[in-house]
Amino acid sequence: MNPFQPFYNMKIGVVDLSASSAEVIPLDQEQVSRYLGGAAMNSAILEGYQTDALVFGTGPLTGSFAPASSLMIASFASPIFKCLCHVPFMLRTGPDMKFSGVDYLVVKGTAPEQSILHVNHGKIRILPAGNLQHMPVPEAIRELKKTSPAFQSLIITGPAADRGVPYASVSIGQNGSLDKAGLASLMSVKNLKGIMLGGTDGLPFNRDNPHQGKELEKIISTDKNFKHRGFYSVLTKLEGGKDAGKFLKASRKKDMACYHCPSPCMTHVRYSWQDPRNKEMQNSEDGLLLLDHTGCAALAKKVGENILPVLRACLHYGLDPAGVAERLPQGRTVLEYLNAIDQIVSDNLSRTTDVSQRQCLFGGGVPPILTGDLWEKRVALAMVLGVCPVFLLRFPQITDSALLSFISASEDVLKTMQERLSSAISSLLSPL
Amino acid sequence: MTEQQTTEKPIAEQDFSLNLDDLRPRHAEKRHLSDYFMPRRHSFILFHPDRCTGCGACEMICSTRNVEKVAPVSASVKVVRDEKEGKNFSILCQHCRKPLCLPACPTRAIEKGDDGIVRIDKLFCTECGLCTMACPAAAPIKDPGSQEIHKCDLCEGDPLCVKHCPENALTFTRGKAFRWIKGLRWTSQLISFLLLVMVFIGTFCYFRTGSVSFACPTGTLQNIASSGTVVLVSVSSALAILILTVVAGRLFCGWICPFGFVLDLVDKITPKKLGWPSFLKSRMTKYGVLAGAVGGSYALGFQVFCTVCPIGTLCRSYGVQSFFKSAELAIIPALASLEIAQRRSWCRYFCPVGAVLGLTALLRLIKIVIGAKRCKKFSCIQCAEVCPVGIIDADKLREGLSPKIPMTECIMCMRCIDRCPYDAAKIRFRWQKAVPGEGRI
Repeated sequence: MNPFQPFYNMKIGVVDLSASSAEVIPLDQEQVSRYLGGAAMNSAILEGYQTDALVFGTGPLTGSFAPASSLMIASFASPIFKCLCHVPFMLRTGPDMKFSGVDYLVVKGTAPEQSILHVNHGKIRILPAGNLQHMPVPEAIRELKKTSPAFQSLIITGPAADRGVPYASVSIGQNGSLDKAGLASLMSVKNLKGIMLGGTDGLPFNRDNPHQGKELEKIISTDKNFKHRGFYSVLTKLEGGKDAGKFLKASRKKDMACYHCPSPCMTHVRYSWQDPRNKEMQNSEDGLLLLDHTGCAALAKKVGENILPVLRACLHYGLDPAGVAERLPQGRTVLEYLNAIDQIVSDNLSRTTDVSQRQCLFGGGVPPILTGDLWEKRVALAMVLGVCPVFLLRFPQITDSALLSFISASEDVLKTMQERLSSAISSLLSPL
Repeated sequence: MTEQQTTEKPIAEQDFSLNLDDLRPRHAEKRHLSDYFMPRRHSFILFHPDRCTGCGACEMICSTRNVEKVAPVSASVKVVRDEKEGKNFSILCQHCRKPLCLPACPTRAIEKGDDGIVRIDKLFCTECGLCTMACPAAAPIKDPGSQEIHKCDLCEGDPLCVKHCPENALTFTRGKAFRWIKGLRWTSQLISFLLLVMVFIGTFCYFRTGSVSFACPTGTLQNIASSGTVVLVSVSSALAILILTVVAGRLFCGWICPFGFVLDLVDKITPKKLGWPSFLKSRMTKYGVLAGAVGGSYALGFQVFCTVCPIGTLCRSYGVQSFFKSAELAIIPALASLEIAQRRSWCRYFCPVGAVLGLTALLRLIKIVIGAKRCKKFSCIQCAEVCPVGIIDADKLREGLSPKIPMTECIMCMRCIDRCPYDAAKIRFRWQKAVPGEGRI
């Protein structure tokens, strides 16, 4: 019996934007047994398609009772890093993709007009999205909620991607993402505005080992990192993160978690500010969900205490804060920063990056909070199994066997899976 | 026999149609003897929005029970994230004492069991969704896939979501076992009753010991009207209760009044209320009674209302020495029987002592506030249900607005504070404008 049967729908959705067609084909069981899933499986699927294709995939544990099982991975040839990249998407995107009836989604070709995908009940619809072009991300989401079929999760590109800005980044809802590898640019080239995930189905995940979750919770709760939670717990471990923490901490409202995550690493902040360009707006209150640790650390280095209005502007346009930080000068006013961001969106400038090769492989946004090979091994483990990489980086004592035991309690099956997992991780890290 | 056969219609023509009452008779609310003394515990799951991180573990585990797979949309609990405000809300059945979903169901598929749990009988449910519209918390959730209605049944007394929440943001409560305000209030009422009625007979109307004297403010007003003279000692004696009212609102009515204590006891044995006709439901009536009492005293030259005052009567007639001897005895059951119509009917509409205290309460230092923001998103309305004088606007709470509580009518019993599971009901100084959680959610 295939131990992955209850963990997958065993379906791949293939969308040909050029032909405006979509089909759902069965997932190759042998391929799943060999690569397990996630980024390793994405790479294997991508080999069968043209180089411009992009694959969205989930891991076997995505959506399951494993902690932080929130991951969806987008794999594509990065136009910025010029290599194969695997970008993690958290919040609820991974589970919602699985609960929409497909485990993997291949997007190939280029749509004749701006389109958006809607996935639900194992069916994919290509919907026109011309009206969303050049629309700021929050407005586009509001428009989609009014006019499109219901969805649970959404990934969307902003006006920056529509204008072909290389600093564009895909946004999960209006919260931004860890995409620093140019996925938004690639999507805009394909005339793909975003993907809406209906998420109204479910999966009967294996519950043979119901105490596994509790055992892991015990391990986690004894860790010192468990007490240090929220966005700042990760941010302060990054270069320049302590300064960013200083500026952000006063606005902290509430720590938020992704799907089934016992230790939140995101924080909702509320702040009041006055938009210098809008004189009618006096001391307006605004809220942001902070999830991009590296982006915030980079931005804080440049803009200091003005970080929140500047970050808001980045999310508004669908820009990568780390990329924007490269182009911003230090010690300016909010107005000057906002004008500079407008300039970045209107000018089509080329982008240079100084991100390390191992960071590039995973989209450039996973915070480097562990040193040496351990970082890439932990991230690769997360990317294969479909568990949040930040969570596994924060709790290095969670072993691969502990995670695999969510799939099966049988020791024989576990041993085989562990071997396959090691080989999948090796193949994933082979470009390094 | 032959006659009967001739009058009966042939079977084919007989009307065998069954109506809903035949198929599914509506269950009468059962009350046990113990309910009159100790209300049945109200089981529900309490949500702590400040603890919830929105991880959705509750939805996962709940859906496995509902549909035997992980499908958050099929769960009976829903976590809603407010992206702008950074708040999480839960949509979860509160198993109300008087559920609105129950009468809304056209097939009577919803029932409230003896254990207080509101359940949907899947056999009778037609998935029309009327219950979701009727429920102020939108707690019956329609599955967008199967169209089934899912509603929390507290996992039959052992809720899985509570066990699996990593942040302990959900607490299963069977109601507070002991409400300390309730305990204090009943003790205070009992002691006041014993002191005023059984020990210091007649002391409520006027009592003097040494240089200290106390008097009923309404009696004092009538005294001034009937005698035409203002006696400084009499006025200063009446000030004691008035000062108490300025400091703490109509605390006398809720915590001290011996007749109020009798009414609360009568309320316990008359749970079913018949209601007042709308033309009689004017809270201004008591001010009319007060004006009549003062005017009557002026005209007739004696304290008119004091002869029938239930508080004074109670103090004068029911003492140890004069117990069952007074003809005034009849006034107490007569007025107490008004409880059949509405809780504290006398206090709401007729009591002139309450009218004097109500007018004094215009100068009060404190107020009771119910912050809709602290309240659940779609309010549970328990505060409105327990208010004995019915001054909490349940419709405002359902709209998500903080209701304005008229402190001239509030008897400061603090039942709302005691009952609120979210600590949304608070006492504040009247000048405190920024109430935590006040305003629209």
